[in-house]
Amino acid sequence: MRSSRYGAGWRRSLRSPADREPLPAGVEWVLRVGLPADQREPIGGDLAEDYAARVQRDGRVRALAAVWLQALRVAWRFTWDRSMHGRPLPPIGDEIRRGSFWDALRQDVGFGVRMLRRQPAFAAVAVLVLALGIGANTAIFSVVDAVLWRALPFTRGDEIVALGEARPREGRVNGPIAPADFFDWRRDSRSFAAMSAYYETAMNLTGRGEPERLRGLAATPGFLAALGISPPAGRDFAPDEEMYGHHRVVLLTDGLWRRRFGGDSSIVGKSVTFDGNPYEIIGVLPSRFWWPTRPELLVPLALDDHDRTLRAAHFLNAIGRLKPGLSVAQGREEMAIIGRRLSAAFPAENANHTTSVLPLRDALVGDTRPALLVLLGAVALVLVIACANVATLLLARATTRQKELAIRMAVGGARMRLVQQMLTESLLLAILGGGAGLLLATWSIETLRRFLPAQFAALPGIDGLGLDARVLGSALVVSLCTGLAFGVAPALVASDQRAGRALNDAVRGSSDGGRGGRLRTALVVAEVALSLVLLVGAGLLMASFWNITDVSPGFRPAQLFTTRVTLPSARYDDHAKAVAFYQAVIDRLRSAPGIERAAATSAPPFSGVDARLNLEVKDRTIESQFPVRAHPRLVSEDYFQTLGIPLMRGRVFDNRDRAEGPAVAIINQSAVRRFWPDRNPLGERISLGDPPRWMEIVGVVGDIKHEGLDAEVAPEVYMPLPQEFAALGAGLVRGLSVVVRTSGDVVSVAPLLRAAVAGVDDQQPVGMIRPMDDLIAQSVAPRRLNVLLLSVFALVAVALTAAGLYGVMAYVVAQRTREIGVRMALGATPAGILGLVLRQAGGVAVTGIAIGLAGAYLFARLLTSLLFQVSASEPAVYGAVCAVLAVVAFVAIMIPASRAARVDPLVALRDS
Amino acid sequence: MTVAAALGEFEQVVLLAILRLGDDAYAVAVQNEIQRCTGRELSRGSIYITLDRLETKGYLRSRLADPTPERGGRAKRYYTLRPVAIEALKESRRALVALWRGLETKLA
Repeated sequence: MRSSRYGAGWRRSLRSPADREPLPAGVEWVLRVGLPADQREPIGGDLAEDYAARVQRDGRVRALAAVWLQALRVAWRFTWDRSMHGRPLPPIGDEIRRGSFWDALRQDVGFGVRMLRRQPAFAAVAVLVLALGIGANTAIFSVVDAVLWRALPFTRGDEIVALGEARPREGRVNGPIAPADFFDWRRDSRSFAAMSAYYETAMNLTGRGEPERLRGLAATPGFLAALGISPPAGRDFAPDEEMYGHHRVVLLTDGLWRRRFGGDSSIVGKSVTFDGNPYEIIGVLPSRFWWPTRPELLVPLALDDHDRTLRAAHFLNAIGRLKPGLSVAQGREEMAIIGRRLSAAFPAENANHTTSVLPLRDALVGDTRPALLVLLGAVALVLVIACANVATLLLARATTRQKELAIRMAVGGARMRLVQQMLTESLLLAILGGGAGLLLATWSIETLRRFLPAQFAALPGIDGLGLDARVLGSALVVSLCTGLAFGVAPALVASDQRAGRALNDAVRGSSDGGRGGRLRTALVVAEVALSLVLLVGAGLLMASFWNITDVSPGFRPAQLFTTRVTLPSARYDDHAKAVAFYQAVIDRLRSAPGIERAAATSAPPFSGVDARLNLEVKDRTIESQFPVRAHPRLVSEDYFQTLGIPLMRGRVFDNRDRAEGPAVAIINQSAVRRFWPDRNPLGERISLGDPPRWMEIVGVVGDIKHEGLDAEVAPEVYMPLPQEFAALGAGLVRGLSVVVRTSGDVVSVAPLLRAAVAGVDDQQPVGMIRPMDDLIAQSVAPRRLNVLLLSVFALVAVALTAAGLYGVMAYVVAQRTREIGVRMALGATPAGILGLVLRQAGGVAVTGIAIGLAGAYLFARLLTSLLFQVSASEPAVYGAVCAVLAVVAFVAIMIPASRAARVDPLVALRDS
Repeated sequence: MTVAAALGEFEQVVLLAILRLGDDAYAVAVQNEIQRCTGRELSRGSIYITLDRLETKGYLRSRLADPTPERGGRAKRYYTLRPVAIEALKESRRALVALWRGLETKLA
């Protein structure tokens, strides 16, 4: 009353040019907004008086600052006081609302628990939905964190870099290096505390029980220093041990030392036979030693004097440790200078490539990063949908509690206090959901670990995958944020009711609180839209996967088995001996029962083994925008027939192609297309790599996929096994794979293969025998996992959305029962009522789908790198997804809609 | 439960200051009086809030004076104590005096 009596005068006075100093308009506004109506005038007057006095005393600027501060503090005090304590009540009962935050919390938690126990179905559904969202997020987060974010298992791992060659024109980074380049880098660079070249190797352990083929790493001295590791027993490689002749030393991993040497503490200094040569054991690596390829032993990478000068054969990888305080960029800069100098000095070999310096993690993680981030994004969307879902549940529940809330506010409950209590309930739900989610995550991580494709095993952190403090912490944070996310809006909406109206409505038992209803609709629209985004993502990946598995590898993989047989250089010291070994094995296999064909090759498809060399054509310069390079394949006579590679022109290798015969080669169709697009290549003479050796092209065979079904086929040059090929070093012929085509399975093939090898050389172990189908399946395994996970997420999303749609429509129908009854009493038909409800719900679904389409298009563009022969805007996928979602939505809506159509007007009207 | 039990220390201070000021008790004067007697630096906000709450609780009565040009045409709000406040002050004084009795030597 006071405010109305004086309000008008006060307002006038704001405008009047009082002879004193009028308050600044901003301050007036603050007071208007922040103070209760009856306090505005006297407090405004006090401030005006102060202000005028200060202007006289301290000047206008200081006075302005002081009055602003004063106004803000007073407004804040009133706002805070009112929101925390509500409207002050008379003394009686005042102390009931006093009490600390913790008392309130205890009260709220107790109340929340009672509320949830009273509605167990609601609690169970909400906890289950949250558990799905939080559990899936925790599981995916644990993988992403382990692979992308957690520190590498090395001391100061951020100083370690992967060094390699970049070939910008071919779009390659961090490719393998030629030995001569590496030694120049190591000599000239100043940024690195250690630098080491390495390649993967495998060695046959003999003389100690069963011969065994062991995975190893050949590395120049400095490898352990670069990783920051020193052997707890024994010593690291000495600098001269990278010279051929001084290299017969070996470092055992802790695992191998325990497994094959019984943890013998006096092992250092003893001798052991690898590949038929005695090696001195100089040390044992610490048990925490980790390297992606999981080598079991480390030997020096020792090249002979010739191989050390190779500049065109690229087969080394390298790592380095930056000196403390130097950044990757500084290391990169220095290496670029060295690279440019080498390009100028050796234009023939080095013109097309520069150096690349990558943080080791980036090099190890490589292509996996985008896929993991897409999964993390997708699973976050699932959580958002789960939040929206629980929020709609809470909103529906809040309307049933309108009466309770209205009464509490009418007796002076502060709005903030009510919001706090409702938020406590949300957080309680979120924490329960988070707990259940953790159980789900534990199970999911175990399952994931079992289904992780082999490629993932090489990623950092995969070994330690599981629930650790970081993952638990993230789950807790996600749970709390989730609780706030789905709790705040319903709490604010529910508490924002004019007490009187809500009371009346509650008594009448009608009305769907306007803002609550709109918010619920918006949440369901969002759910539909996000589900569509996920469905489109899953659909595009699925289409890509179908396209890939539809790609023919160019040969017949069924009933094809392959195994690598690596011969020790001690006993097979020249080309002829090695060839004779493989030939003898092939002959034995051919006569074995059930084996249809057998062959040997240096690089079977999908094996990961490959090389590339410069290609020259006699008397001709090839004009090409691409570097003129081809992939060499050393193959035995029956190779094409064994794999089922079609001959397109000329002939395949036969017994004419002996060691002493004229050098010949067969090329694939890609080579023809690229280098002989308009002429017949048969009879042309080509040379691969260095030293030059001219070979006549005698045949053209069909393209086969080598790296993967989704990879382009590169030009390939096949050379007959008996004819010596030195450009890749003499070791090439000692590491061939045997390929057999059988009528049996892997169980029947394995003994035959082992017997054939043992029949020729009983000291020779055989590697793992793999069906070609498995190798191909493994090559698409990461894609399969992506498709699988994204599909699961999309299904969960659709299920949640359907539940959300159903819930909202069921609620709306229940709220409108009386109205529907009236309509029917006035002559509306059940079909009309059905149409009414369907139109309303259909509007929600269609709006969601429309918004989702736009979102899906944006999401699909993030997926581009994962797609194969599918455009990010593939209409068929979008169409199919919209149809699926529309059908699901229709079913979810039909149930409540048909219930509405069955409303009995008499019953509806009587009940109301 | 006695009414005096609800009186906080700061509430007592404010009530006493109003009593001392007599007919001239408005927020700024109350703040100055407390500062003069106790040396306490107070924020204006806490004075306003306390006055507001004491009035709601029924300890104070307020009236608006005529607007003055010095205040930009705004009225002053003057406060006076209701009898219940006098009772409450007496009660808390009695309680304090009782507690003080016999402690003069220890706290001198």
